[in-house]
Amino acid sequence: MPNPVPTPQPTTPLIYASESARAASAGEARYRITAAIAPARNARIIALDPRAVAVARRIATGPWAAAGFYRCDAAPGGHAGGVPLRRLDGEPVALTDLLTGTDVVVVLATDDSGRAQAAAIGAGCGERAIMTAGLVLGDGYEAHEAVAALRPYARVLLLSADESDVVELLTALRV
Amino acid sequence: MLRQDINELLTQTGPGTPMGELFRQYWMPALLAEELPENDSPPVRVKLLSERMIAFRDSEGRYGLMDEFCAHRGASLWFGRNEGSGLRCPYHGWKFDVTGQCVDVPSEADNSSFCENVKLTSYPLVKIGDILWTHMGDPAKRPELPEFEFVHVPPEQTYTSKRLQQCNWLQAFEGGIDSSHVTFLHSGGLKTDPLFKGAKGNEYNLNDTKPFFEVADSDGGLFVGARRNAEDGKYYWRITPWVMPNFTMVPPRGDHPVHGHFWMPIDDENCWAYSYDYHPVRALTAAERQAMKDGNGVHSKNIPGTYRPTANMDNDYLMDREAQRRGETYSGIEGIAMQDASVQESMGPIVDRTKERLVPADSGIIKARQKLRKAAIALRDEGVTPPGVDPAHHRVRSAAVVLPQAESFLDSCRDAVKVTPGVRQASV
Repeated sequence: MPNPVPTPQPTTPLIYASESARAASAGEARYRITAAIAPARNARIIALDPRAVAVARRIATGPWAAAGFYRCDAAPGGHAGGVPLRRLDGEPVALTDLLTGTDVVVVLATDDSGRAQAAAIGAGCGERAIMTAGLVLGDGYEAHEAVAALRPYARVLLLSADESDVVELLTALRV
Repeated sequence: MLRQDINELLTQTGPGTPMGELFRQYWMPALLAEELPENDSPPVRVKLLSERMIAFRDSEGRYGLMDEFCAHRGASLWFGRNEGSGLRCPYHGWKFDVTGQCVDVPSEADNSSFCENVKLTSYPLVKIGDILWTHMGDPAKRPELPEFEFVHVPPEQTYTSKRLQQCNWLQAFEGGIDSSHVTFLHSGGLKTDPLFKGAKGNEYNLNDTKPFFEVADSDGGLFVGARRNAEDGKYYWRITPWVMPNFTMVPPRGDHPVHGHFWMPIDDENCWAYSYDYHPVRALTAAERQAMKDGNGVHSKNIPGTYRPTANMDNDYLMDREAQRRGETYSGIEGIAMQDASVQESMGPIVDRTKERLVPADSGIIKARQKLRKAAIALRDEGVTPPGVDPAHHRVRSAAVVLPQAESFLDSCRDAVKVTPGVRQASV
């Protein structure tokens, strides 16, 4: 009687009961839960210099659900918190008040005139664990020091940005 | 989040679409040179940008890429006979050369000029490095040939593979410029993958899971800098270049070869991931090349004779929950490439970006989408040549460096992110 030839046993099964293929199909996408997505961010946009303020004014007219727009004056004085902040209509506001209830701060700069304020805002956000983003409008060369001041604090720095980048970022973040 | 109309604009690359026209401005990978290994080797079906084509290499070694279907009755020329300097349809014997020109219609009279008026749509097919490149746009606007470093170093210094990814090109590409997922999805590979492990930079990656990002324009696309804490008050920077529309490089690790990808649309629900590894100044070692062939690093283990990964959606990517529990892999999927592909394919063929909740750390992706959209619209409305067409834009490198905190990665790495022949990559 010949010796039986041993049948090789695969160490792993060759066919799996896969659900991934079906689950990833376009047809199955129809069954994804659809629910309204509420704005997730309470944002503050702070313009550090006059050209950035002009951009902020234009963007502020957009359909934002939870965004406040502010400007930073060049010369400090008479402002609680040491950062000369104002709403775009000119009303002074303290940095502490501005940051209360905020979960993302977007700083706009076109030059270096706001570097000290950038550092103070960044530090304030850092202390409160507020997500900070910095957008440098233009080619970035004129805002080198402002960028350096923001770098330790800004989770994201968008260099050589333009006005549409601000809109895109706020839209993507569902502000 | 992205509006639905913009999502459609960015994800649809068929003929006549804005993104399809954008892609058709560039030289693009059509197939690997190994797929047509010799003169008169079997023809290969190629689908790119939602166009079905046939590629072949004729008796004189000329490459051709043309409409897959015979001009006579529409039979696939994949069944054709590649012989005598042309591809002959087996149905009725019509024969076409590498330009798509019909050169023989046996049923016509011997001196008939009929076939002179029959020509299949065709595109150029040029071998540079391990890749056969094509340009599917207006021949009058055909740019100079690509100058990406990985296809111009000597053959012993470079290796390219490809794999099928079953999702739209954009969601695959977006993984290529998303540096923040590495610490999670690929954390196992940083410790064990032979093409990654041992680099000092890996420690920075694993010790700081909350990178900071800086995104800057480049001539051809973007540089995305990801910053993590290093010792002595310094930062570890990983700089990822993107050359529009679909070329990305991964920042290097130690003296390992440098790698990256082309994300090439097949149709709107599938793409090719071309994955390359090269070293700017030395030959790849036998061990490195074997590791790449075995599917390590950014490469994949494919089903023999195909470019479909062995681990794929039909077998749940060989999910290994035990390896996940043991911490060998973060997601339970083995290999960098399939870790990416599994999560990206799980989003569906074309992810609904209206439902996203992006965070500021996604700024590179946000900016890239914006640049693609602007370029596609500028091309459509004003005929503006997009960034990345000029071969000068291809001469970029990724980099991984440790810098003093006050230094800008852009200022400090201007030379490191440019191709300098004979100079090794900037890597930690």
